[in-house]
Amino acid sequence: MTALTKRLSQLKSGAGGENAGLLVMLAVLVLVFSIASPRFLTGANLGSMGFQMPLLGLLTLAMLAPILSGGLNLAIVYTANICGLTLAWTIMQFGGAEAGIGAFILGGVLAMIVGAIAGAVMGAVVAYVGAHPILVSLAMMIFLRGLGEFLTRGGDISGFPDYMRVLGHGELAGIPVPLILFGLIAFGWHVLLRRTPHGFSVYMTGSNMKATEYAGLNAKRTLVLIYTLSGLLCAIAGILMAARFNSVRVGHGEAMLLITVLACFLGGIDPFGGHGRVAPVILALIILQVLSSGLNLIGANQHLATAVWGLFLIAVMVLRSDQIRQMVNFFSRKDI
Amino acid sequence: MKKFTGLVSALALTVGFASASFAETSMGIVVKIGGIPWFNAMEDGIKRRADELGVEAEMIGPVSADPALQVQAIEDLIAKGVDVIGVVPNDEAALEPVLKKARDAGIVVISHEGPGLENVDWNFELASADGFGEAHAQLLSDKVSEGGKYAVYVGSLTVPLHNAWADAAIAWMKENRPDLEIVGDRYGVAENVDDSRSTALDLIAANPDLKGFLAFGSQGPIGAGRAVEERRKTGDIHVMGPFSPGQGRKMIHSGVLTGGYMWNPAQAGEVFVTLGNMLANGETVEAGADIPGLGVVNPDVEARDIITDNLLEINKDTVDELAEKGL
Repeated sequence: MTALTKRLSQLKSGAGGENAGLLVMLAVLVLVFSIASPRFLTGANLGSMGFQMPLLGLLTLAMLAPILSGGLNLAIVYTANICGLTLAWTIMQFGGAEAGIGAFILGGVLAMIVGAIAGAVMGAVVAYVGAHPILVSLAMMIFLRGLGEFLTRGGDISGFPDYMRVLGHGELAGIPVPLILFGLIAFGWHVLLRRTPHGFSVYMTGSNMKATEYAGLNAKRTLVLIYTLSGLLCAIAGILMAARFNSVRVGHGEAMLLITVLACFLGGIDPFGGHGRVAPVILALIILQVLSSGLNLIGANQHLATAVWGLFLIAVMVLRSDQIRQMVNFFSRKDI
Repeated sequence: MKKFTGLVSALALTVGFASASFAETSMGIVVKIGGIPWFNAMEDGIKRRADELGVEAEMIGPVSADPALQVQAIEDLIAKGVDVIGVVPNDEAALEPVLKKARDAGIVVISHEGPGLENVDWNFELASADGFGEAHAQLLSDKVSEGGKYAVYVGSLTVPLHNAWADAAIAWMKENRPDLEIVGDRYGVAENVDDSRSTALDLIAANPDLKGFLAFGSQGPIGAGRAVEERRKTGDIHVMGPFSPGQGRKMIHSGVLTGGYMWNPAQAGEVFVTLGNMLANGETVEAGADIPGLGVVNPDVEARDIITDNLLEINKDTVDELAEKGL
């Protein structure tokens, strides 16, 4: 029995267990797809996946931090759209396709400011008014969507300078530029959450906000800050989206909202906040991308891909439950 | 974990059977959204024509009409190394970079309903704006023998395509039927069935010599038809325009709706495959060439557009068949 408890606690506490499980899943998927299609393990396909994943990845990281703090940010996609519009608008003011690199930098900074403000407002309402994060971010999502549709009349802004293509479609030493960007940001996000006082505060707030406050941490400020950072990340996603599509429109990428939630939970983030790490979430993202590209490569139906993703999530939840673990451990005991 | 991996491999293997062997020419066609009747019909056309020509063609229908999903699907097709990519764009501008990437990789790119796209080998249309408008005007002219008035609906005053149809129809009427006069200007109500109906009731009351409605916009003919039915003017006032055959089936049979035109998505699917196969084999599209599914073409080389008039008439004889297909 002691062995069992030890094993259990090991499994529960160890992010190693989390990663190992996901790594096995990934390995199996890669194996199956490379048997099913000779083109799966080619540079072209890996490159294509490397270009596709960062956008979803950035949005997922933007979703991850609020979930860790016990909330949710449903406004990520529309925040990204509005920030993209800010960038596009700035570039248009400086002559559209002829705009210099300075216009892009100014637009990027403005976009990040807009994203941070959108996030900060949400964080402040969640922290100081005490409204539920789902309601607050839903309201923000509706507001940003309406605002964007009003400003653009539902149309798009397109025609950006050529150098923006490098950000969206370029390669550096054979590695897609978006992937490099994503790698850097993910690493920064990991350090921020695991190695800084603010990150500690986020986990504590997510576990128990009252206790955190009694312990002398400023939980409210933490919440405002985490939503602000989430908004900032949305802005970067919005800039990347503008570079990849060479156009900005409210509604680009809206299909990704729920997939970011899926990626977070698949990566072992506690839906009630307080537990979870960045690394398994990135593994989960890679798994989702492998599934999506792999199914496309073998020519499976798109709707089937969605169904498979859903099944994955259910399967993961079943396998993660304590009951299953105890059963597995019970039957794998050698002394009966 | 074992059980889990078992599940994973079983799933992946099941879908693995969907993969077919490599044929000579392979193509992938990315449409706006999967699972709706319009694109299901297009997929039928693609499969049928691919079987006839012995090429491999698949249709990818994203789960929502999000341009981001179309970009991903096209990137996967480039990675897959297909010879031809076809696309029915949700948002032309968002696809330009990825289509450029495809063409740089030596892939033939064909689009449908994307006249503004630049990074394509050819864009084809089964209905020209002028031809579509004129066909409806002609239908009205055939039905109404004596002089009088007619009204024109568009979906909204800001829908470019509907207004182009209306322009062409009104110009044709002015030239060929000076005895038929337009009532007011056009009315931007045809996306809404109730607005179409109430506007039609007002117009019928105000103009005793009203003879017909030209309604461009999917709900316009339905709404105007209901008004005509309510006022018991069936046969006196004719209603025509493009509409969904399933929705207007009963009204066509009762004679309230005269009919209209549409283009056939299955035919568009066939043209994708035919044209893709031609271009992949190094053939070129010349003026006067007879391409199956398109007829004799007169391509606009400058804008890379092939615009034809392959209209499909919706009337008492064809509506049932079209509605059966779920269109």
